[in-house]
Amino acid sequence: MSLAEPAALPVATSAAPRWHVLKRFTGSVKASLPAYLLLLPSLVFLALFTYGAMGRVFIDALYQRATPKAPVSFVGLDNISAVLADPAFTGAVVNNLIYAIGTTVPSIALALLFALALARTHAVSSALRAALFLPVLIPMVAASALFMFIFLPNVGLLDYYIGRLLPVLPNWLGDPDVALYAIMVITIWKNAGYYMLFFLAGLQAVPEDVMEAAHLDGAGPYQRLRHIILPELKPTFLFVIVIATLNAVTQVDHVFVMTQGGPSNSTNLVLFYIYQQAVEHYDIGKASAATLLTLAALMGLTALSFRTMANREGGS
Amino acid sequence: MLFSRRLMLGLAVIGTMAGALAVPAKAEGPTEIDLFFPVPVDGKLARDMGTMIKEFNETHPGVKATAVYTGSYDDTLIKTRAAIKAGKPPAAVIMSANFLLDMQIENELTNLDSLIASDGSTKEKFLSQFFPALHGNAVINRSVYGVPFHNSTPLLYINADKAKEAGLDPSKPPQTWAELTDWAKKLTKREGDKVTQWGIAIPCAYDYCGWMMETLTMSNGGRYYNEEFGGEVYYDTPSMLGALSWWNDLIYKHKVHTPGATPGPAVSTSFISGNAAMMMLSTGSLTYVRDNAKFNYKVAFIPRNVRNAVPIGGASLIMPAGLEAEKQKAAWTLIKWMTSPEKSGWWSRATGYFAPNVAAYKTPEMVEFLNKNPDAKTAVEQLDVAKPWFATYKTVPVRKNLEDEVMLVLNGKKQPKEALAAAQKAADETLKPYNAETSLKLP
Repeated sequence: MSLAEPAALPVATSAAPRWHVLKRFTGSVKASLPAYLLLLPSLVFLALFTYGAMGRVFIDALYQRATPKAPVSFVGLDNISAVLADPAFTGAVVNNLIYAIGTTVPSIALALLFALALARTHAVSSALRAALFLPVLIPMVAASALFMFIFLPNVGLLDYYIGRLLPVLPNWLGDPDVALYAIMVITIWKNAGYYMLFFLAGLQAVPEDVMEAAHLDGAGPYQRLRHIILPELKPTFLFVIVIATLNAVTQVDHVFVMTQGGPSNSTNLVLFYIYQQAVEHYDIGKASAATLLTLAALMGLTALSFRTMANREGGS
Repeated sequence: MLFSRRLMLGLAVIGTMAGALAVPAKAEGPTEIDLFFPVPVDGKLARDMGTMIKEFNETHPGVKATAVYTGSYDDTLIKTRAAIKAGKPPAAVIMSANFLLDMQIENELTNLDSLIASDGSTKEKFLSQFFPALHGNAVINRSVYGVPFHNSTPLLYINADKAKEAGLDPSKPPQTWAELTDWAKKLTKREGDKVTQWGIAIPCAYDYCGWMMETLTMSNGGRYYNEEFGGEVYYDTPSMLGALSWWNDLIYKHKVHTPGATPGPAVSTSFISGNAAMMMLSTGSLTYVRDNAKFNYKVAFIPRNVRNAVPIGGASLIMPAGLEAEKQKAAWTLIKWMTSPEKSGWWSRATGYFAPNVAAYKTPEMVEFLNKNPDAKTAVEQLDVAKPWFATYKTVPVRKNLEDEVMLVLNGKKQPKEALAAAQKAADETLKPYNAETSLKLP
């Protein structure tokens, strides 16, 4: 509805005087009043628990205290510049970028592969789909606890098997060079099945007649994939990329459970940095400033992706 | 996202309804108080706590206490602070003993002196119930802010079967670092370059790592931090350099300790599975080892290089600031009851922590328990040489300043000397605001 209205309004202004617009507007409000009334309880809670909290973060980000016993005072953008100057924050951003790219690309590639392999529904593919979707059903905290034992140095499940092949066993979660990649493996394992669902849905939308025509024209499997399936899946891709990127920033339960950002900050991600500032340093100002920066980056990214998506859809 | 929002809405509705129901109930009947409690070790602690509070409510009709499980030690601090900020602090909290100083600096604790005085007792008399090693973390600026509830010290655990196999006598455990190094060498088994059995394992993950560094530093004659003032730590010192260098040597020179930072659960699993023949771990793990080890084991004091000394760990009962007088009184009754000799001893037997109340060890149940499980005695005996747990302004970040550098050393990425210099610099920076208004605030 909100998408349709702005498109309709300019047409109306060019065709009729101003009061007409107003009338139309009040008319539409009158018509949708019951809808708004029905939405009111949800809106109240949304305002209280989502936008209220966001507003509070915005205010908190502008205040700071100089010494522990001093009262909080208005400091403007000082908190934001303090966060940007903090090497722990820049470290967390770099880690998060590696983590985002290193988890979205493989998990989306795997998801597409699974979806293509299991697109046709029969008993075996249903069973395999269920198996691949299973990790999604396990809560991240439970999965992390399981993986902690899989990754145990020397005695864990992984070392039990790999130990026969490698002379020196890596300390999966205890080595700053390895820990982030160990964390990434869990994310890929956990999310690939989820993204597979979107691709499966996307594949249903590939027109059957086009595929048949291509078949008759002698297009091979690769050509069909390259020229028909992938272009048809473009909106799905965009959507999954946005979801995966948001997940890479917001789903860090395994960092809390398994490494606490360590060793030596090697698995510290942005959200965990915010948690550390708020809880360990008890520095609400800096935590709020870091939250604002993250929020701004995420909103920018989402807006950009959806605009590209809208453009492409408009073009086709 | 959608689900969590719905969940939040549901919780909000339930919360308002519960609040509406609770308010009229409060006006009559017993004083209702909440006790926040963490479960820092695995096991059935939550159920034991339920049993304990049920018994309290049955014997104290004037008070109705509710035990609220609040996660780990860190989570408990977060939730307590959130409750204080919301203006609804819990009446009592079982708080990690080294968070007390930081909370006191933030004005978040109730001073217990007046409550002790109202009982007709004195501070000295009240504190004398507890082992002297525990006073340091309960008393700040000569006022009592916490009552020790369950405590621990680090211990050396030895796989006695493997020691005998290697021709060592487990009844004479290593007493010095030199002897321990020797034992660890004899207990390490190799096939070519590959180690199939490690001599010793020492945990290093956030929290545990700082505690182990304090253990080794104190055994090496050091102090780690200024016990009298929350604005100083002693990281770049000979005593800590010796401690970290020895740990480093165990890994890279003697090759008897697995490289990298190993968290506590990995260390205990490694010991239980026979992959590590010795380990340094908290007394809190004793019950776990007793229940799971399929071999004979032995516990001993942490060996010394300069002197025998270890830090305590564990938690104290505290009262947040800003409580109504009536709730304060009810919470005080609960705290005194929970830390009495009988309850203290019961909790110790259920959990594996030692009982902070000295008199608990004179109760008949405890005497019988110790006769049956003589290994539980070692931790209590070691209390004679125990010292307070490090506590500074911003304890956790200051500790992390050290741990991040220690982890680099254990991974072979830095040398002990430069790592400690970097840790000292970072910690001084973290402590700066506090020093600015205390030690460096000059007339």
